[in-house]
Amino acid sequence: MAKKISFGFPKMHLEEGERRDFLPELMGVLSDLGADIYLEHGYGDGMGFSERDYLSAAPKTNFVSNEETYQQDFVVVLRYPGDEKVEKMRSGSCLISMLHYPTRPQRTAYLKKLGIEAISLDSLKDDVGRRIVENLRAVGWNGLEVAFQLLQKIYPEPGLENPHRLPIKVTVMGAGAVGMFAIQAAIRYGDEDTWRRMAKIGATGVQVTAVDYDLTNHPEIMKQILKYTDILVDATQRRDTSIPVIPNEWVGLMRSHAVIVDLSVDPYDCSASPICVKGIEGIPQGNLDQYIFTPGDPIYASLPEGIHRQNQRHVVSCYSWPGIHPKDCMVIYGRQLSPILRALIENNGVKNIQAEGHFFHRAIHRALLSSWH
Amino acid sequence: MKRYSIGFPHMQKELGEKRAFLPDFIQFLTRFADVYLAEGYGDRMGFSFSDYRQGNPHIFQMERKDTFSKEYVIIFRAPSEEEICWMPPGSCLISMLHFPTRPQRVALLKERKLQAISLDSIVDDNNIRLVENMRAVAWNGLEVAFDVLERQLGGLEKENGEPVQALVLGVGMVGKHAVEAVTKFGSVERNNNHMKKNGNGSVACCVGRNIAANPNHMEKLLKQADILVDATQRRDSSKPVIPNEWLAWLPSHAVIVDLAVDPYLLNANPPTVRGIEGIPQGNLDKYIFNPDDPEWDLTVPSSIPSANRRTTVSCYSWPGIHPEACMNHYGHQMRPLMEALFAKGFKQISLNGGYFERALARAKLPD
Repeated sequence: MAKKISFGFPKMHLEEGERRDFLPELMGVLSDLGADIYLEHGYGDGMGFSERDYLSAAPKTNFVSNEETYQQDFVVVLRYPGDEKVEKMRSGSCLISMLHYPTRPQRTAYLKKLGIEAISLDSLKDDVGRRIVENLRAVGWNGLEVAFQLLQKIYPEPGLENPHRLPIKVTVMGAGAVGMFAIQAAIRYGDEDTWRRMAKIGATGVQVTAVDYDLTNHPEIMKQILKYTDILVDATQRRDTSIPVIPNEWVGLMRSHAVIVDLSVDPYDCSASPICVKGIEGIPQGNLDQYIFTPGDPIYASLPEGIHRQNQRHVVSCYSWPGIHPKDCMVIYGRQLSPILRALIENNGVKNIQAEGHFFHRAIHRALLSSWH
Repeated sequence: MKRYSIGFPHMQKELGEKRAFLPDFIQFLTRFADVYLAEGYGDRMGFSFSDYRQGNPHIFQMERKDTFSKEYVIIFRAPSEEEICWMPPGSCLISMLHFPTRPQRVALLKERKLQAISLDSIVDDNNIRLVENMRAVAWNGLEVAFDVLERQLGGLEKENGEPVQALVLGVGMVGKHAVEAVTKFGSVERNNNHMKKNGNGSVACCVGRNIAANPNHMEKLLKQADILVDATQRRDSSKPVIPNEWLAWLPSHAVIVDLAVDPYLLNANPPTVRGIEGIPQGNLDKYIFNPDDPEWDLTVPSSIPSANRRTTVSCYSWPGIHPEACMNHYGHQMRPLMEALFAKGFKQISLNGGYFERALARAKLPD
């Protein structure tokens, strides 16, 4: 009889606001397929789940230390846990996480050096190149939801809910996958209930202008657009991250109540060569602990030297936008990941996954660290 | 393992409908089945029977009508009622059948004791369609629209030096892709050339119902629009989003892009009218209509106001503009579904199965 495959699920231990863990529903699926499950003590408690919830879905679930979860055949953790944690893994075991091979060459090299196999969740793609595990919708919608909540508080007289106000003007930079969801979310105030409420009171709606890199490089046109923008969304995927799309000087042209929404979350990295700056110069980078920044927030002082920041507006920025609504997010990820884990269990691990195999074999094979060059 | 038989009749729609499944997909299906192609299958895309057969003993050709007699029939767009009646009871039709909006077709399939899987109803656990090409709907429509606009303007630069402005109505799946297509002039190649010349770019302005219903705001927006895109999914299809009189606000060179392709069904209850009032409906044979086109009135009922006209691009099957790319895409999407289907056969497909089996089960003919 084949050895049972074990899965370790450590908690993420990142910022306090990072509450996401996979739900009992996924553990039920793995348990039914005969896998051994090892959850870190307290798994799911940030979302209100107890050990009992997991045990009722998967009765043989083991609750162990953080370190023990890293000792299993597969270690499943949504965000990369850090080199220190990965060092605890057994050689030949497999890490399943958002690993971002193309933009993290040092991480990739380190994992290979440790002799660890990996499946990068962001590299799991179908035969037409669509990501299988993704929640880009939540990136767009959650970011705009927070932006409109903020705008509601700071919008000048007669107020956002006054039917006689002008249409809200949203400018979305970037029309890729995230930008497309941002446009849809913006038109609906980032929240379907708000949208319906606004429609009911007869409020003038939202007008969204989408621009891409062939227009953002025309300063006079962009400056004109910015002057009339209530919400500016950065959903760009820049080829050259050393140059901002919107220099800080242009931020000064925007209305004083304007809200900047950072969905790209490119970091400031002055140690890289060339340096990496954010798409909108002089805005801070947020996370799940703090994702709303008012002008004058102390965080502006901590931006790297040389970054212009004198022009400030309200900013919403979060490294993990889907994590704003952790349970909704993990329902989606769990369902997307379930057939992948099923394929691994049914084939007794990664070694039997074939590049020319069935759909999920092909998808897994494309996402393997050992397939990445 | 049981070997099934699958018939592939080609679509007998307008002449411009060239699409057929590609040889790779047909070869793949012979892992599970003997495949029977209608004579001439794929020839409008330049494929001969030899291209399909490639020496494979499980691929045959036969008269088109006979392909409907196989256990499974795969045809992309729904066959006619007469063709459905050629299928023997118990056999299974796989096609874009649009169950929710075609009650008569559902009734006929049941009456004939047929089984069916509607490709447009195959959805995953998160309700995402697995066989779709919304991207091609938007990109192909905008590609044609910018071709026309480029001709009308003699280039993509406007005299006032402003970027090209497109007004997109609706931001569902198609609308979202339309926005991306607008910002790249409907063609990455055209966009790259435009950028090399440091052109002024293009802007997509999107509005939903909350603005589209307001004539004051719409007048302002329509007066600036070089391209007007209908990508709406209306809750009430008996009323247009843009009444014909509003079209007078558009500049004379403006191009209307119809991606919603709702038909005029005036005898239905309630009646269905098009989202932009008074525009014609095109197909793969003819999808560009100039304002003075004598064929304008062929698809616009006389009771519908249509005095205000701008060049309109409209096609019932936008993905079919680039048939090979389209069928390559659909073939990739359908492969894992066919694997799941033929591993068990239609009758055994259930919601308790694997990922693709569950998706197929949701697309079965409703009880």
